Amino acid sequence: MRRREFLSRAASGLVALSPARSLPLPRFRSAAPWLLVPMDDAQTDHLKAYGLTYRALKRGVRAEWFLNYRSGSFLLPGDSASARDAALAGISVEPLDDGQLVELRGSLEGGNMDAVPLEKPPKVAVYAPPNAPPWDDAVTMALNYAGIDFEKIWDAEVLAPKLKTYDWLHLHHEDFTGQYSKFFLNYAGAPWLVDMVERNRSMARSLGYTSVPAEKRAVAGAIAGFVEQGGFLFAMCTATETLDLALASDGVDIAASYADGDPMDPNATSRMRWDRAFAFRNAQLELSPTVPVYSDIDGHQVNSPDRRQPLGSFSLFNFSAKIDPVATMLVQNHRRVIPDFYGLTTSFNRKTLRPSVTVLAEEPGAPWVKYIHGERGQGTWTFFGGHDPEDPQHQIGDAPTDLSLHPHSPGYRLILNNVLFPAAKKKELKT
Amino acid sequence: MLRLFHSALPLVGLLLPGSLLGQQAAMTRAFDLERRGDYAAAAEAYRTVLATRPADVPALLGLERALVPLNRSTEMLAAVRAALAAAPSTSAIYGLALRAWAAEGQPDSVRSTAERWARIAPTEETPYREWGSAELGRQDRAAARAAYLQGRNRLGRPDALAAEIAQLALAEGDYETALREWLLAVRRLPGYRGTAVATLAQTPDAARANLLKLLSREADLTSRRLEAELRARWGDPLGAYRALSLGLPSDQPQAIAALRGLLDQIRLLRTPAARQAQARVLEALAERSPAAQASRLRLEAGQAYSAAGDREGARRMLAGLADDRSVAGSVASDAATSLVDVLIAEGKLDEAGQRLSERRSGMAADNHDAVRRRIAAAWIRQGDLAKAEAAVGADSSVDGLALSGRIRLYRGDIAGAVQRFKAAGPYAGDRADATRRTALLALLQPLGGDTLPGLGKALLQLEQGDTAAAAAGLERVAADLPPPQGGAELHLLAGRLAASSGKPAEAERLFRAAAVKEARATAPAAELALAELFLGSQRSQEAVELLEHLILTYPESALVPQARRKLDEARGAVPKT
Repeated sequence: MRRREFLSRAASGLVALSPARSLPLPRFRSAAPWLLVPMDDAQTDHLKAYGLTYRALKRGVRAEWFLNYRSGSFLLPGDSASARDAALAGISVEPLDDGQLVELRGSLEGGNMDAVPLEKPPKVAVYAPPNAPPWDDAVTMALNYAGIDFEKIWDAEVLAPKLKTYDWLHLHHEDFTGQYSKFFLNYAGAPWLVDMVERNRSMARSLGYTSVPAEKRAVAGAIAGFVEQGGFLFAMCTATETLDLALASDGVDIAASYADGDPMDPNATSRMRWDRAFAFRNAQLELSPTVPVYSDIDGHQVNSPDRRQPLGSFSLFNFSAKIDPVATMLVQNHRRVIPDFYGLTTSFNRKTLRPSVTVLAEEPGAPWVKYIHGERGQGTWTFFGGHDPEDPQHQIGDAPTDLSLHPHSPGYRLILNNVLFPAAKKKELKT
Repeated sequence: MLRLFHSALPLVGLLLPGSLLGQQAAMTRAFDLERRGDYAAAAEAYRTVLATRPADVPALLGLERALVPLNRSTEMLAAVRAALAAAPSTSAIYGLALRAWAAEGQPDSVRSTAERWARIAPTEETPYREWGSAELGRQDRAAARAAYLQGRNRLGRPDALAAEIAQLALAEGDYETALREWLLAVRRLPGYRGTAVATLAQTPDAARANLLKLLSREADLTSRRLEAELRARWGDPLGAYRALSLGLPSDQPQAIAALRGLLDQIRLLRTPAARQAQARVLEALAERSPAAQASRLRLEAGQAYSAAGDREGARRMLAGLADDRSVAGSVASDAATSLVDVLIAEGKLDEAGQRLSERRSGMAADNHDAVRRRIAAAWIRQGDLAKAEAAVGADSSVDGLALSGRIRLYRGDIAGAVQRFKAAGPYAGDRADATRRTALLALLQPLGGDTLPGLGKALLQLEQGDTAAAAAGLERVAADLPPPQGGAELHLLAGRLAASSGKPAEAERLFRAAAVKEARATAPAAELALAELFLGSQRSQEAVELLEHLILTYPESALVPQARRKLDEARGAVPKT
């Protein structure tokens, strides 16, 4: 039965990936009908390999993601466009003939591996204010470097029907509690902060909200609705923590007076409605407006000198590729242990995680985890703590990370796993 | 004796009371747990010690350290209460108590603890300093200031806690108060000067003039030094020297200390103004130093004047030294070298050569040869190749061979130049020289003929800075050579010169002439150069097409990674820094 099933899947894969479907360009026509994009240490540019696969999907060809095979390799048709694209970007590809592919599929069947068809390029939206520095967001940098198309949207688009037109939404270091990342404490008067405050207030006014915290809570609700209706959400840094705080604080004032004109509810912690949150529960809120911390969700508390924890390394979990393909896709990497990096929210305390959350990466022995995933309604969400995987101590005003210097970044690979994950053909999950 | 001492140790251990041994073991265990990061266990271990010795300060401090990362600082209160009850006159415990109350968010208790502490230490600033620090920990600057001012009032000293008040004022943007307080603090304790300068240096541009005005009203040396060092930090090294020179005391040690302080501030600056200021400070130091030190300081001053472009100042410092038989030989030799360099910079090459000949006996051979080569290089720049060759003489060192190769090249003797460049190898001159020589070899090796006077002339014009004439000359020579035998390389070099001279159309024409298929070694470089030209002219699409052509046509070229990087830049995929 297993062998029959395997042969059937292999045959359907061959038909689906027929190279005859793409336009031939004789000069770059590969000698073989298939191109394997290895993602182990043989790969010369891991990050651009995701862009290569994305662009192949965009051209209308189908690809496959070989989970756990050579650290999550891709299979593309050996058409001229893919060969040319790989040569231009400096991406390693290995030609495969039909016999080699059948043999490879056999090895996939025999181990903790699987082949996931990738069908259509996800339509990607990045949530960012119009004046956001273009290089201050790890995902934007990764998408630009890999050559994956995306559109920037902000509050007005999130609260409008347009959000439904995207497959994948990314949030970075936004503060959905409407407190401007509590930067008021250390950066009061800084021109960029003045500009940020004015833009947010102006947007809240134009959308009919009395305060920025109220408007951001509505935006958080719209994002939750996007996921419930089948969207893919990927959040990093402080967007993870504040999104859940905003959702759970329905009817509770958790914003300091500088944000909405009145002080925070002193009983806010006990009044939170955690059933509305994506990932967290029973967190202790930071009640002081003078402490640049939101809650005890973050394990590292980077901006609190008394509570700040040193950086370690985090380890990716192994999942069963055939039983748990979603989690497996999200942890494809050529490294299993990755150096940690700070963000306004760096990690997630285990004690604040909802039981349904899937932990994808943790720091062994530490009370926190790094990378988590879950489902909500018909969609899924993934939270990744920290700001920039290749700038562990990132500070405001630091030079942007140049990803051409980090083409093998395992941290950035995790981001790009999330971008391609929505391209995978949906199938009934076994867990 | 040593043996006796060692053998006595176990005996001493045996004589110690058992409870004390147990305490030591508990403390050791607590430290070890803390070092391993097991803070919860460390806290329990410290508590075990405190159970029998509640006022043990190391154990209390250890408990405080262990509780902070556990976010359980408020648990210090019980331990501190017990400690105060056991030892109400131990100052260190009050500091702990203040921090514990502050962590608990109890300002009234912080205040009463501080006042209690002040009663048992009525002449000390520490209670008020710790009190203010605890208030700052709660972000309450007003309360911190009140604590400091209360301390100043109670102690009856107008300069008490001045450094703390200064830092508080700086945090609030009150730079005038900060300056006044720092002056009080530095006058009382000069060791504060470094911190005062470092913190006041952060004053925004708009507020600096006012601070300098306030300082100018003060007449003492402390103010002059502060003004000078702040001016140096704020990019006015000459103003710094002037400010200090106005207030230098007649007391030599004090004056030297002040000058040295300023020199430390400006020593690493490399602007002409900073060099000039360094020279003046060094000269002033020389005037106040004993003869042996003065000659070395005058030498450094001369070198600084030379680096600043002040040749008159350099001559003034160096001329006497170079001819002074009483100064140390090394100083005289260095002075002579520096003086010859001044003459070279002034273009007085005959005089420089004569000076060098006169000082030959007093100079180390290596040093003498290096100066001689600098004179030869200067003759090359003046276009007098005969005198350059005479200056090089029979120098067979790698540097001499490299220089000789350049002279051959500029005379058009290609074969002779290649031979000497190869003989010089990669070790002559610095890294930039070696790279330049390698580039020249790459340019010369494909050339067919042994002599090309036109090329030599063009490259000499390039050496002399006449880029336009050099580019025109290179193009003329290139026109007579087949592309694979130097024609393409010379077009590429001419194109680069045109591009660097701001002539993009001419550069494009020359790069296109170099980017021909017959010259496969040169074409990728020419295409890359042309793509960079396009990128600089906002012709991104043309650059993209050209870079793609380069990568796909010459995949074996060493320039492909660079081309990919440019392609990423053209597509906006890498950040602009």
